[in-house]
Amino acid sequence: MERFWNKNTGSNRPLSPHITIYSWSLPMAMSIGHRGTGVALSAGVSLFGLSALLLPGNFESHLELVKSLSLGPVLIHSAKFALAFPLTYHTWNGVRHLMWDLGKGLKIPQLTQSGVAVLVLSVLSSLGLAAM
Amino acid sequence: MACVWRLSALCGARGGRALFLRTPVVRPAQLSAFLQDQPAPGWCGIQHIHLSPSHHSGSKAASLHWTGERVVSVLLLGLLPAAYLNPSSAVDYSLAAVLSLHSHWGLGQVVTDYVHNDTMQKTAKAGLLALSALTFAGLCYFNYHDVGICKAVAMLWKL
Repeated sequence: MERFWNKNTGSNRPLSPHITIYSWSLPMAMSIGHRGTGVALSAGVSLFGLSALLLPGNFESHLELVKSLSLGPVLIHSAKFALAFPLTYHTWNGVRHLMWDLGKGLKIPQLTQSGVAVLVLSVLSSLGLAAM
Repeated sequence: MACVWRLSALCGARGGRALFLRTPVVRPAQLSAFLQDQPAPGWCGIQHIHLSPSHHSGSKAASLHWTGERVVSVLLLGLLPAAYLNPSSAVDYSLAAVLSLHSHWGLGQVVTDYVHNDTMQKTAKAGLLALSALTFAGLCYFNYHDVGICKAVAMLWKL
């Protein structure tokens, strides 16, 4: 593989348009969504872990700081939804991936059905979690 | 063997060329595991049959890594309801470990997909290892010296 990439980058050949011209499909969009939410969640977890090591003050003091901002309930509700959605989407779509790994649901119509089901479940669970 | 005969019979009926199989010896057990959908009648083309590399002398590392990734995913899935229904120090530390590992392996796949240059990939993987190690350390530190992951989420949500 390295030989291929070295030769490719060395020859300075132009790259044909691909993601700019290819028609988007639901499985395609959901796949990059799975990766995107995964990276975002990892960033969040790392930020949390690193903050624990580097920032002064304990968790409660940081929560007090947020409380002192006196954010309205709508903003808080929306923020909870925004935090919950990447998690629920990545979790439900993760289950979909595990089903594929078992060899189930790989027919094209099943892909669309399971995809829509994941999206609906994600929105509903995020709404549910944000309401808690 | 039945599957193999069927494929060549289909091609023969339409006067197509001989079916091109990648391996000369085809075992029925492995074949049926990978041919879940029968080709449509009248279909005549090349089907590349990928058999499990159980006879290869290559390392099983990649295969074990794949399985490990799925096991960790299922573990993490189970820890989520556990964290809600039965928050505890054990769940806190399990979450720290499984979360860090799942995240590390996931980001590793992203690096493999987008970073092609050999030296760049080594650097990226090293940086990732450092980040994952620090994240795990940070989460454990939080579990030990602060309220712990489960309690923290509960406190945040009560806001």
